[in-house]
Amino acid sequence: MAQRFGTLARMAGPPVVAAIVMVSLWEGVCHLFSIAPYIVPAPSRIWAAFISKPGSLLFNGGVTFLEAITGFVIGSVLGACLGTAFAYSRLLARGLMPYIIAANTIPVVAIAPIIILWFGHGMQSKVAVTAFLSFFPLALNMMKGLQSYDRVVMDVFHVSAASEWQRFFKMRLPNALPYVFVGLKLNVTFSVIGAIVAEFVQADKGLGFVIMTTYRTLNMPRLWAAMLLSALIGILFFALIAWIEKRTIPWHSSMRDDK
Amino acid sequence: MTVGATPAPLVELGGVSVTYDVPRQHAVVEALQSVDLAIARGSFTSLIGPSGCGKSTLLRVVADLMAPTSGQVLIEGQTPACARRARQIGFVFQEPALLEWRSVLENVALPLELQGIGRAKREAEAGRLIDLVGLSGFEAVWPSQLSGGMKQRASIARALSTSPHVMLMDEPFGALDQITRDRMNLELARVFEETGVTVLFVTHSIREAVFLSDNVIVMSPRPGRIVRNIEVELPRPRNLLVRDSQTFGELVRIGARELEQGYDA
Repeated sequence: MAQRFGTLARMAGPPVVAAIVMVSLWEGVCHLFSIAPYIVPAPSRIWAAFISKPGSLLFNGGVTFLEAITGFVIGSVLGACLGTAFAYSRLLARGLMPYIIAANTIPVVAIAPIIILWFGHGMQSKVAVTAFLSFFPLALNMMKGLQSYDRVVMDVFHVSAASEWQRFFKMRLPNALPYVFVGLKLNVTFSVIGAIVAEFVQADKGLGFVIMTTYRTLNMPRLWAAMLLSALIGILFFALIAWIEKRTIPWHSSMRDDK
Repeated sequence: MTVGATPAPLVELGGVSVTYDVPRQHAVVEALQSVDLAIARGSFTSLIGPSGCGKSTLLRVVADLMAPTSGQVLIEGQTPACARRARQIGFVFQEPALLEWRSVLENVALPLELQGIGRAKREAEAGRLIDLVGLSGFEAVWPSQLSGGMKQRASIARALSTSPHVMLMDEPFGALDQITRDRMNLELARVFEETGVTVLFVTHSIREAVFLSDNVIVMSPRPGRIVRNIEVELPRPRNLLVRDSQTFGELVRIGARELEQGYDA
């Protein structure tokens, strides 16, 4: 028990101390130089903006999180499927890869209005933008992961008369999991960005909507509160994926504690 | 072929040749040139020769990892593909090639799992083989936590799991240090004597070959041909004292001389 607490203190201690130091400095600088709240609001003002209507911000944060995670799941699953198809068909990969890469370089702010036009004004269009962004990292990482197996291990499966399904599920897929998690962690960031950008274009709820409306009224402390909440959502989402990763691939060298 | 008192060989190669293209050099490499070889059931045969003499190619042909360009291979009268699908072939590669996401027990049980054997049965068998290769106590450990020698022990146990009729071993101890290698030789001799499995073993080391084998097949450099079959009549069970015997020294000298002549040819 004491040891568990020690580990927790060792893990959480440095970021907590860093946060206290940074927030204190920020607060101090704002007061010391009398910085206008619409330029940089002090942490106490941001907190006050949050606490005055906490339900509204949390509701909008929840909307954004739901859009992000739904698009994340849909985009990641579709991306993983295409990546699998690419790993098995060199021809398909060679034919489509240039366009996949080209599509991936389209700025999300350019494609978001088009997708919203297609999918309508509701949540589904925000989910679609998020899914679009989450698609590529998984497609590329899944393909790479499925292709990066050890040839000798494949020989072991061949000598053992393994079926194609067994080669996939017992060898290539587990072998691809570390790559899949690289893609998923990228998608955490992309999906929160995707949801907020889609809300910028058109929305009546969500953190992107809050940021746009508070910007128009120059209610900067509330804008900062919404922004920090989106960052918090990203951190929690990332922690969730990292937690799943640690339980899924504990054998992988990236999971060792002794580094 | 003489039919009569001598029992039919377990593995039989007739006129096996393998050539392959090296596209970038526009060259055709002749890896094996009409190799005839008969391996008796329950014998330990080593293939020895310089690098690139086609020893590994020969093993790969027997294991159906590669098709010969001409000639034929029979394992108990069947093609290698049939023998492989019947799970009669065990293969130990130079690298342990363990699945890093599986424990030692799950790795050893893998071929049985692929065969569709139930968990209880395959894990009991894997546990027995882990005992046999001296890895008891490491069943739940991940491969990354094992030393090179221990990984190779697990790999040998895995190859034995389907009770294969023939074990093909491609320089399994090549990456190990000399002390570990000596121990592994001793243990392999014991495993061979206890299981009675037929072994075809590729090595660079003439001492290793003589110590382990009933027959040492010396091969020439490219194109790989069989130069000589040295019969090793040392007593079994083998122990390290065998290596101090006069016969052992004499056989190693003969093998070394044959290898040298192969280079000159």
